[in-house]
Amino acid sequence: MNVAGNPELADRLAASYALGTLRGGARRRFEALARQSPALRVHALVWQERFMSMTELQQVQAPGPQVWKRIENLVAAESVAAPAPVREDPLAALLRRARNIWRGATFATGVAAAAAVLVAVGLRGELVRLQAQPQVSYVAVLTDDKAAPAMLVTFDPKRSTLTLKRVGNFQEAADKSLQLWALPPAGAPRSLGVLGEQPVLKLTAAEPSVAEAPALAISLEPKGGVPGDRGPTGPVLWKGAVIQAPL
Amino acid sequence: MNPESACLRIPFRHRMHAMSYSDDDSPLVTLLERVGGRLREPLRQRDSELALRELYDCTSTKLFGLALKVTGNREWAEDVLQEAFITIWRSAGDYRAALSPPLAWAGMIVRSRALDFLRRRTSERADAALELDDAITETVAGDSPDPMDVTNASEQAWALHECLRKLEARQREVLSLAYLRDLSHGELALQLKLPLGTVKTWIRRGLEQLRGCMGSFA
Repeated sequence: MNVAGNPELADRLAASYALGTLRGGARRRFEALARQSPALRVHALVWQERFMSMTELQQVQAPGPQVWKRIENLVAAESVAAPAPVREDPLAALLRRARNIWRGATFATGVAAAAAVLVAVGLRGELVRLQAQPQVSYVAVLTDDKAAPAMLVTFDPKRSTLTLKRVGNFQEAADKSLQLWALPPAGAPRSLGVLGEQPVLKLTAAEPSVAEAPALAISLEPKGGVPGDRGPTGPVLWKGAVIQAPL
Repeated sequence: MNPESACLRIPFRHRMHAMSYSDDDSPLVTLLERVGGRLREPLRQRDSELALRELYDCTSTKLFGLALKVTGNREWAEDVLQEAFITIWRSAGDYRAALSPPLAWAGMIVRSRALDFLRRRTSERADAALELDDAITETVAGDSPDPMDVTNASEQAWALHECLRKLEARQREVLSLAYLRDLSHGELALQLKLPLGTVKTWIRRGLEQLRGCMGSFA
């Protein structure tokens, strides 16, 4: 059977192939012939393109409103898990490595990753409730390198107040302090303040220092923190993207 | 105002100069580019999120109709739609290289997510043979009017639509199911409760007619 020399037959077989009804041995023979014949491949590609358009022709139906809600939550959880990268400085490089580890973990351990997303989605519920208070306009969930949430940060621009709420059970040693940093798109991290040991903490910050930072991070420093102009000296424990909450 | 009207493209048949396509002849292309924008420029994260929402507003009813057609179950179709939009969110950066009309590209994602979904279900429960929904059974039984919709469709889809319209409804339906659900002759016969020979005949005749008609558009 000379398929290549018979355009009519080639086209008929290609149409069945693309539709999916050419099966079994006939399908394998067609594939073998197509590997040898550019003309036959063209027939097959043309028909694949044509049938692909069938997906455009289906009747419209309205999905339930919760579908978008679920998509929105998953997208938010994903951007929290992988904060926007900043220009390379030592802290940013650290964050990038942490993020790569997290990505590696995503592919390696699907179960753990799924669990982390669930936690993040759960937290997102908390974000949504916080967003219901109209004065809150920026939020960030700071997570460790396994994407486990450790701190919830909200910023109220009217009062220039950052509120930090610990959600993990981390407790720094008596001779250490946690320090919050804004990671601006360019330049070195800027200190936003040193945290006390209380579970909910308020810090004063100017709006631009929060609004212009794609991400926040917390490092472990000597008691009382380090001077803000020299960047963190200790390990970065948690970080997360700053999300602008709709007003 | 129809919420989808903002993203409607001018139907192909109304365009005077088919050669004057620009890069963004469809608002959907622009939206897909914006969804993928954050992958090149992380500071555009927020714009990408807004574009995803617009894309959803423009295409979700169409894509949900497709998911429903493949799965035959509302709840499953909603799961599929959700998975498809997450796939679109992650792979919008690859859209340009696909060289496909935007709705067809998204449609292929929905179809493949839907087929994955059905395969997962079948492997979970061996007896989960798909029961065809009543609407499809009716279409195959009689000659109901053309149920297809060309909103936002590409030229290619227009041509296919014109040709499918000329088929008998049952031939059109069997061809659609074979493709969208990736079914063999035997599986179609089983799902439609028709003799295998009948299904084969409908497919063969439908495909022959379609070949002749599509050839005239080439």
